[in-house]
Amino acid sequence: MAEVKSESESGSIGKRREWLAFLFVVAIVVPLLTIAVVGGYGFVVWMLQVFVLGPPGHGG
Amino acid sequence: MKIIATLWNTLKKPPVHISLGVIIIVSFFAGIVFWGGFNTAMEYTNTEEFCISCHEMEDNVYQELQSTVHWSNRTGVRAICSDCHVPHDWTAKIARKMQASKEVWGAIFGTIDTPEKFEAKRLELAQHEWARFKANGSLECRSCHDYNSMDWDRMSDEARRFMKPAAERDQSCVDCHKGIAHKLPEQMGSEDPMLARLVREATSVSLDEGQQYYSAKSVDLYTDPELTERAGVLQVATEVNIVETRGDSVKLEIPAWRKEKGFGRVLYADFGQNISSAVLDKEVAQNDSLIEVQETNVVDEMTGLPWGNVNVALWAEKGVYLENREALWETAGQTYRDACSVCHTEPAPEHFDANTWPAMFSGMVGFTNMSAGTQELVLKYLQMHSSDYVEGAH
Repeated sequence: MAEVKSESESGSIGKRREWLAFLFVVAIVVPLLTIAVVGGYGFVVWMLQVFVLGPPGHGG
Repeated sequence: MKIIATLWNTLKKPPVHISLGVIIIVSFFAGIVFWGGFNTAMEYTNTEEFCISCHEMEDNVYQELQSTVHWSNRTGVRAICSDCHVPHDWTAKIARKMQASKEVWGAIFGTIDTPEKFEAKRLELAQHEWARFKANGSLECRSCHDYNSMDWDRMSDEARRFMKPAAERDQSCVDCHKGIAHKLPEQMGSEDPMLARLVREATSVSLDEGQQYYSAKSVDLYTDPELTERAGVLQVATEVNIVETRGDSVKLEIPAWRKEKGFGRVLYADFGQNISSAVLDKEVAQNDSLIEVQETNVVDEMTGLPWGNVNVALWAEKGVYLENREALWETAGQTYRDACSVCHTEPAPEHFDANTWPAMFSGMVGFTNMSAGTQELVLKYLQMHSSDYVEGAH
């Protein structure tokens, strides 16, 4: 563990890894998660409308 | 697995090579780009271009829209698909977008990919939309049309008479205004299924000469048993006596009253009452050999018009007569209550007299989707159950 640490903290491999991880998360993971969360929210509301609430009503 | 482990190891520690400032700025702009992109994509799915990119929409509903006021009108404002069919409120909109996964499914598996399949589903699809508009009080309509912005003085009298009470009750637009942007389901514009059943039933009623029957629908009348010389039209629910049967034809005797002014083309069910039984061609109405006069010059005191009691015997097709009118009246009464109560409390049939009903009825029937045949029957039902025929009515 200590070896890995020292390797990633110094040198170009560590820098490259950090940037890749950062951009990967910012450009791919978070957008996908957001879409999934919004879509999931919409899906839950839809299912509630189907089974519990009925069609969307006047002013929510 | 190793890549994920390495990624996780990198992520769980504070950055060494990237400054906090860079992270904040890059993340901030990434956020802007993402949200902009998300909204743009969402907006795109609300465009007409997107909706009609599947032929189910383009070939059916989109074509129908183009003949309506929501497509072109004197003010140049028009509604696109999403204006009416996608909720404008964010949560309901997202839910609707998720619901569209069903439409994607339908597009992939061709649920309504031919005009026939679409027509078969039209009623069901329309009912879904009507249920939605019922629940939200036609919220999407009201993004543009607002009761509070209606200037009653600038409305036609007829429109105001309906719109004002509707506004007071905050009524859902689609309660009355169905079929304004797309065609109504065929089942609604055409023959009433209950009425169609009675007409089918009539085909199996055996006719005895000398007996009384009632027409189950309007029937063409002829002067000859071969049914070649047209004489007029017998209307629905009219009392006739079967004089003679020959092959597929029957000779009917229509006991009637008619006005002895003009050509006497219209035969009425009763003295002084504008309840039409049949309409004859001019030559037939003037032909004394076809019209047997029973009584003549009976003056109706209300109008001063002379009426005559006649018997008219003409030929018609077989198989469209019933032994009594009860089932016809029941169907008519049901249709009357259903169609009228959509917009207002319907008056009892005996609220008006037989001569008031026609004007009353024709002023209102345009708001319903009764077929011509059903209208004829319902009007007759109302007249025959009006204050002139119900004891103790006002």
